[in-house]
Amino acid sequence: MSAALVTKIQRFSTHDGDGVRTVVFLKGCPLDCKWCHNPETKKAENQLYYVNRLCIGCGACRAACGQDAHAFLPDGRHIYRPEQCALCMKCVSVCPAKAMESVAQVMTAEQIMEIVLRDKPFYGENGGLTLSGGEPLIHADLCVELLECAKKLGMTTAIETSGYASREAVRRVAPLTDCFLWDIKDTDPVRHKENTGADNRLILENLKIADSLGAKTVLRCIVLKGVNAEPAHFRAVSGIYHSLQYCAGVELLPYHTYGGSKREQLDGFDDGNKAWIPAEADLALARDILTENGVPVL
Amino acid sequence: MVFYTPFCEPRPIRLCEETRRFAWESLQGKYGDEARTYNAVSLDHIPGFSELSEVEKYNIAIAEIAKNAPVRICKEEKVCGSATLGGAIDHVVPAFYQGRPVFRSVSHLTLNFATVLKRGVNALENDIIERSKDDTLTDAQKATLDSFQKAIAAMRVYHKRYLQAAKTAKPEAYQALLRVPFAPPRTFFEAVQSLWFTFSFVRLCGNWPGLGRIDEMLGGYLEKDLARGTLTIDEAREILAGFFIKGCEWIQSSPVPGSGDAQHYQNIILGGTNENGEDVTNEVSYLVLDVVEELAISDFPITVRVNSKMPRRFLERVAQVMRHGGGIVAVYNEDLVLQALERIGYDKKEALSFANDGCWEVQIPGKTNFHYVPFDSLRILLNDTLRLNTDSPAHFESIESLYIAFRKNLKNTVDKICADAIKEFADFCEHPEKGVCSVISVFEQDCIQRAKGYQNGGTVYRVVSPHIGGAPDVGNSLLAIQKLVFEEKKVSFDDLMRILQNNWEGAEALRLYALNHYTYYGNDDDEADAYTTRVIDDFGDMVEAWQGKSPIIFTGGVSTFGRQIEWAPFRLATPFGKRKGDILSGNDSPTPGTDTEGATAMIRSYCKADLKKMGTGAALDVKLAPGTLKGENGVAALVALIEGFCRLGGYFMQLDVVDAKTLKRAQENPEAYKTLSVRVSGWNARFVTLDREWQNMIIERTEKNSL
Repeated sequence: MSAALVTKIQRFSTHDGDGVRTVVFLKGCPLDCKWCHNPETKKAENQLYYVNRLCIGCGACRAACGQDAHAFLPDGRHIYRPEQCALCMKCVSVCPAKAMESVAQVMTAEQIMEIVLRDKPFYGENGGLTLSGGEPLIHADLCVELLECAKKLGMTTAIETSGYASREAVRRVAPLTDCFLWDIKDTDPVRHKENTGADNRLILENLKIADSLGAKTVLRCIVLKGVNAEPAHFRAVSGIYHSLQYCAGVELLPYHTYGGSKREQLDGFDDGNKAWIPAEADLALARDILTENGVPVL
Repeated sequence: MVFYTPFCEPRPIRLCEETRRFAWESLQGKYGDEARTYNAVSLDHIPGFSELSEVEKYNIAIAEIAKNAPVRICKEEKVCGSATLGGAIDHVVPAFYQGRPVFRSVSHLTLNFATVLKRGVNALENDIIERSKDDTLTDAQKATLDSFQKAIAAMRVYHKRYLQAAKTAKPEAYQALLRVPFAPPRTFFEAVQSLWFTFSFVRLCGNWPGLGRIDEMLGGYLEKDLARGTLTIDEAREILAGFFIKGCEWIQSSPVPGSGDAQHYQNIILGGTNENGEDVTNEVSYLVLDVVEELAISDFPITVRVNSKMPRRFLERVAQVMRHGGGIVAVYNEDLVLQALERIGYDKKEALSFANDGCWEVQIPGKTNFHYVPFDSLRILLNDTLRLNTDSPAHFESIESLYIAFRKNLKNTVDKICADAIKEFADFCEHPEKGVCSVISVFEQDCIQRAKGYQNGGTVYRVVSPHIGGAPDVGNSLLAIQKLVFEEKKVSFDDLMRILQNNWEGAEALRLYALNHYTYYGNDDDEADAYTTRVIDDFGDMVEAWQGKSPIIFTGGVSTFGRQIEWAPFRLATPFGKRKGDILSGNDSPTPGTDTEGATAMIRSYCKADLKKMGTGAALDVKLAPGTLKGENGVAALVALIEGFCRLGGYFMQLDVVDAKTLKRAQENPEAYKTLSVRVSGWNARFVTLDREWQNMIIERTEKNSL
């Protein structure tokens, strides 16, 4: 039985595939996107959310901690020292205010499916399971197990992926996946490498593999002003769309800075960049280019 | 003139400018304010009024209203008739003696409007005349029938005054009024005019009836007109819009705050199975949705009887309208409601015609005299059982012994309500002069035949329903005691009682622990839900035990309506971390701030109780973020939510869409909104964990309808 760190299982999701879906967010991602909006899913190992604002200064964390990761200043202010923290999560279990929370829980496929199945009465013909992350495909065994189970029980399946995974993983999940929500973060190889830390060739290759196996895809394109919000990028996206046989179209995701709020709870600083927020004109430009090039904008 | 919506897309426009302006002015309170300038007719000039019998007083009051109430015809209106006396807005008969109302009026019922349309008021009058010929009638029965006839005579007086006024001002309405409501209508317009005039006269006399199955009643007339080509669908929509706008004539620009009763129980039912087993959804059903979608009129709360035969297209239209918020359209799970109604003894065929009473308590239009008795079950736990309001709080050695003591006290409350109801009903049956309300009785089946008033045993059914409030708060309290005291031993029973008596003061860490570390009702957690489910199931059995002991049908219901707000100042601190005065669970919904898993989990929790035992209903309120419902998939998701609700055995669900106002309230009062999560393309977070700056950004986006 496979298991992985799960940051959240979101029920009644209406954004990540057709109908009512349950989205399983798996932890760990090989990319390091500067604009990541779910930063808690990046690291492969577990982390602690720390929200100083919620602390009531009761000292329960200090008493429970064996590592000296929690200290209190003379004025009562709480200091959390992540470098000392062994992630034993003892403070999480005693903090009355939930100022500390474990980012993820280890869950087996069975435990995950138990929750996914609860909403079966709401899935109807279109709804079902969506795997997301992080990058779900780094947990290929678990993904296969979950997808097989979902299929057997008559649910539809979707995977939200960066595409940055082993070809083997893509080949294994593609026949079990009704729809891939495939991120195309940038089409410029240099910028891609610079902003995500990885080459985009593997991503595009995997996309072709999925398509050649008959998998339906939706391309999800983040729009960042000053980075990729330019005609050349959207023309290139159109090219990718037309190179695929089973692609349903493109979804535009305007960058927002909300990810910074979670970054602050994880690492103590907010890395949101307001300059990247696209204006309505940038989005309109993207939509126009895609539409002109015969790409359905979803 | 923008009709507000919390949704990301504007409301569609289908009606003409004049109609839209008429709606706008009515919704701003123009006609309610006007009504307030003439609250009631005076009875002071009636010689010897105080010496008259109750029935005579009532007859005179109604006659004076019909003679003297202002007649109003608005330039923009299609159908005529108005309830122009402001006193009616206060739920009294607006005829005052020495400046004071003499009679309370009647609500919580839906009249037999279908018969008015089918047979006309003249037919009812003939029935009364025929019935009066019976030599064996008692004097009281004779007086009752005489009063019925006088109610119709008064209606005729008011009708004549309208005929006169409409003759030049509204020729089309005049033509219709020459016929209706005394004779049956022939066209859609006449049918709407007949329904409106009857409804508005009943309201003029202070009553707040529901309307019932408007699509079933009007659909046939529209179908014929459309087939004949004498009316277009757009014209029909305008006529129906006129009806809805006139129904806003009691809205005031600045109503007395506090009551929260913006609506006057003028409920409408759409769809559902008829006596032949067919779904009644027709063009009128769609037009009603068109009208409320465009004009944001919430004064006719609509409930759709969802069943498997209902056209998919209609359910999608329902979802589209729901997305605009306001909770205007709610749903019944028809299959379960029918099972509940048969269980309490309604005839199977009769059950099929169910509507509601003006809120959401189910009953049979024109046949049920319904009465509900709300009570606070949290008070039974905290005051009667734990005695936290005394110097010597109770002590229990186990959660089971506590529950058994609570259940005994709950039963005492139920038993008292039911025993009192039997006594009261017997008293009213013996004293026909009590609760006289002939304007209502003539539109209730069997009152004429029995020659008895609506309140005096005249109706086919008498239903009394104790309504439990605060059940989820009781469930959560029991769970917290079990965890804190008996399982984790964080605090002793007696210490916890003292802490609660001190409103958690000095025990903030423990309070937050209780609030944050346990999963409560509403998250689809079987252990947590078991407590609330057990309370509701046991309550249902206690009420059912009273069946067959009297002519009254006894059945339970789960509601607070707005009472959780009224109760708040008098409630004590709860074991699950809420302080004195906090606003707790509404209806059968989770306590604010304790549900984190979203709508589907909440529905599943709610459906764990056997809701068939709640013959008059159990309401679940679900709030959704507008962003969740965007686009085609938003409609599909909403439909799936409704279908899942039915599949799982839900009873009544009201969906609302969260707007910027709600987010602002969450900002001010984070504890009550702990669970509100916001989502923006792929990103999600709990709203209250965000900094003010983030929160403000999201509020701003919501206000711009772009979330």
